[in-house]
Amino acid sequence: MSSATLADLSDTLVWLAVLSYVVAAPLLGLELAYRSRWAGRAGVAVAIAGLAANLGAALTRGLAAGRVPWGNMYEYSMMVAAVVVTGWLVWVARRREVRPLGLFVLLLAALAIAAAALTLRVPAGPLVPALNSGWIKVHVVAAIIGTATLSLSSVFSALYLVAERNERRAAPRPPLVAGGARTADRAEVDEAIAGYAVEELEATEAAEAPATGRRLKDLLPPAARLDDLAFRTTAFGFPIWTFAIMAGAIWAQSAWGRYWGWDPKETWSFITWVVYAAYLHARATAGWRGRSAAWVSVLGLVAFVVNFYVVNTWVVGLHSYAK
Amino acid sequence: MAVQAPPTTRPEPGSPTPQLGELLRQAWREFRSMRTALVLLFALAAASIFGSLFPQRPISPQRVEQYLLDHPAAGPVLDRLGMFDVFGSAWYTAVYVALLAALVACLLPRTRSLVRMLRSRPPRASARYARYHNHAVLAAAVPPEQATEAARRVLAGRRYRLAGHPGGELAAEKGYLREAGSLLFHVAFLLLLVGLAYGKGFGYRGQISVVEGEEAANARVNYDSFTPGRFFGPGQLPRFTLRLDDFANAFHPDGTPSRYAASLTALDGSGRQLRRQTVTVNHPMTVDGIRVYQSDYGYAPVVRVTVKGRDGKPVTPQDGPLLTLRDPVTEVSNGAVKLPMLDPQIGLDVTMFTGLLTGDGPGGRPTLANDPRLVNPVLVVFGWRGELNADRAQSVFTLDRSGLQPLADRPLVIPFGGERDLPGGLGTVAFTGVKQYSVLTLARDPGVPLVAGGAALVLVGLLPSLYVTRRRVWVRAEPAPGGARVELAGLALQGKPAFAEEFRRLVAEVERALGRSPGGPAGVTLTADAAPPPVREPGAARHETRSRPGGT
Repeated sequence: MSSATLADLSDTLVWLAVLSYVVAAPLLGLELAYRSRWAGRAGVAVAIAGLAANLGAALTRGLAAGRVPWGNMYEYSMMVAAVVVTGWLVWVARRREVRPLGLFVLLLAALAIAAAALTLRVPAGPLVPALNSGWIKVHVVAAIIGTATLSLSSVFSALYLVAERNERRAAPRPPLVAGGARTADRAEVDEAIAGYAVEELEATEAAEAPATGRRLKDLLPPAARLDDLAFRTTAFGFPIWTFAIMAGAIWAQSAWGRYWGWDPKETWSFITWVVYAAYLHARATAGWRGRSAAWVSVLGLVAFVVNFYVVNTWVVGLHSYAK
Repeated sequence: MAVQAPPTTRPEPGSPTPQLGELLRQAWREFRSMRTALVLLFALAAASIFGSLFPQRPISPQRVEQYLLDHPAAGPVLDRLGMFDVFGSAWYTAVYVALLAALVACLLPRTRSLVRMLRSRPPRASARYARYHNHAVLAAAVPPEQATEAARRVLAGRRYRLAGHPGGELAAEKGYLREAGSLLFHVAFLLLLVGLAYGKGFGYRGQISVVEGEEAANARVNYDSFTPGRFFGPGQLPRFTLRLDDFANAFHPDGTPSRYAASLTALDGSGRQLRRQTVTVNHPMTVDGIRVYQSDYGYAPVVRVTVKGRDGKPVTPQDGPLLTLRDPVTEVSNGAVKLPMLDPQIGLDVTMFTGLLTGDGPGGRPTLANDPRLVNPVLVVFGWRGELNADRAQSVFTLDRSGLQPLADRPLVIPFGGERDLPGGLGTVAFTGVKQYSVLTLARDPGVPLVAGGAALVLVGLLPSLYVTRRRVWVRAEPAPGGARVELAGLALQGKPAFAEEFRRLVAEVERALGRSPGGPAGVTLTADAAPPPVREPGAARHETRSRPGGT
């Protein structure tokens, strides 16, 4: 096939992927709402088809341009979506109960591709000399995985905020009393014990109470679960994002002669890093745990969006590969 | 910075106003608290945003000048606020210095408490075992001492730190790597910043342009731009000379650049060859600790201008490569020849096309286009006469046209190898060749090893600080009919679900070990949660739904 045909095929596949994700998401929504196993399985099947189209779109584009398929922000978004969906599918294979959360995962993926296809799309073309390096595999792949996991964790945090508010309104929790002897760090122990109690309470409540309402906020998993998911995805994504920035610095050192130069893209990846670092700190701070920390994580997603759409399209810098 | 502020001591009601010392102590506690660190982190993120909103002088001074021209009202105000050099401004420095100070202030007590924790023994359980989420009771057919010993061996095998307490309680704890990793992460981050500052202070950065076949000594005068660190003296520039043997650039079929390559030779003071390398965009050369990068290029058409001097005899004030400024999009280059020694003064605007393509556009009007490859170089020269204002600061690539009148209404179009007469018999311009010049970035950054080491340690510390969890296990064996009743409790300060699983396996292992204890029969009955059903009291009632470790 000629490279023009391949590029056209890629453009078709990309929309097929968006379509599949958009179809699969409400199926998983059905599972979330009505605990319909059938809808959940169908949703996963459609999502796998969508992932195949997504990867096919990336592959054909790479072949059309004769290089790795992450040479510009449009392709980057495509890869982020593929990583997000792959990660969710792997997770589903190990823990079935996260399947309904695919509703949000797939919507995020579809949104990422569609927004990029509409605003950041460029014809398939070769790389500029600065990008032509082995580091494009290391730096950009790490950045893709980091973006995918960290933005996913922010989505979980946002859902946590909804679920937490819902639970708080439904049943104000009585203060927990934890007794016991005084030890050097009694506060820590009490807190750990109290933490269990809350988690268990929520788990039993969720297991016992059937989903009564049909509004989104009534269908969410328990807030504590979402908070835990958000933290664990951040714990996975943050070191990868850290590494992505470092690999970028090493590359910049060899391409531009400085490892850090406050280029707008560098500045925003640093801002994103600081915000997620603040989230991790907030989560370990009394008075910030819970809602405040979750808001910080949501702020991280905002930073990603700015880095993507604002910095790539409006701000001129060395990283201007979008146009 | 996981230090939590100890509860601030408030003055007792009725006591006199707090002493200054107490106030300072309180302020210090507040300063090193996580709240302060969080606020400073947000301030740092917010402050950085400004650096991406406005053009920055250290990165693109031309764009700052343009911004100031475009915004005559707001520009100077923003300039005074440091918006065009955010990362070097006083307020940005204040934020990160405060963050670093808070970081150090928080790391010191944390290090102290980690050391104290490593020196002290794992503490006793702070509650009845049955109150812990992870709880198990085993029946052993051996005396309590032997049962405890079996559990001790299991825990030691799992690398728990152990301590025996009065009453036969065995306390075990592990997961100190979490705090150690977190401390390492923060110290490494400090190290990275120290390296950054050191490199900035003692390094330098600058650009040198060299024409093919020519040489440029590594001396301050040869730099087009030069940004030394605060502690870098020009005498510290190592003496060598760079010769550009050849420059080559290539394009993809769609006209975008694919490769720039500068063949460079570095020579020492006596002309001996130090290094010879093809420097491309991702492959710099290192000479005497200085890294040489290929960063840009341009064309230097070889131009010979012959004019009549004041005494009427022909002179050639310009004979050789003329440096021009290349437009990176069209690959059309612009330069200027200035002849202030003539009367009236003469200036020539010189435009070089790499591949001039002419055609017919709509309505029969001729169109001009340029092929970025060097296929049909053409020089277009437009002459001016009058006052060049050469005494004013101006670009070498352009003429100051304020005091100039055009020599003619049409430019001279000179093909490669051609020669054309200037209007009015002033002289001739010949286009005899095309050379390229390479813009090389030379940089020395002695902080790089520190920064790289700091970055590596940041990652090394980050992983355990996120994934290792601190957990405690307590074991107590009491005499019981037929042997001992062994009770275990476990507590994880983080990662509770994973610990529940670990605790289950641990209990199973202790159970097997009890079976193997000398003198004991093989069979061990396990009675999970053998404790009497706890009373459902408000609050405490929530602890009762617990996992049943190893339940049979």
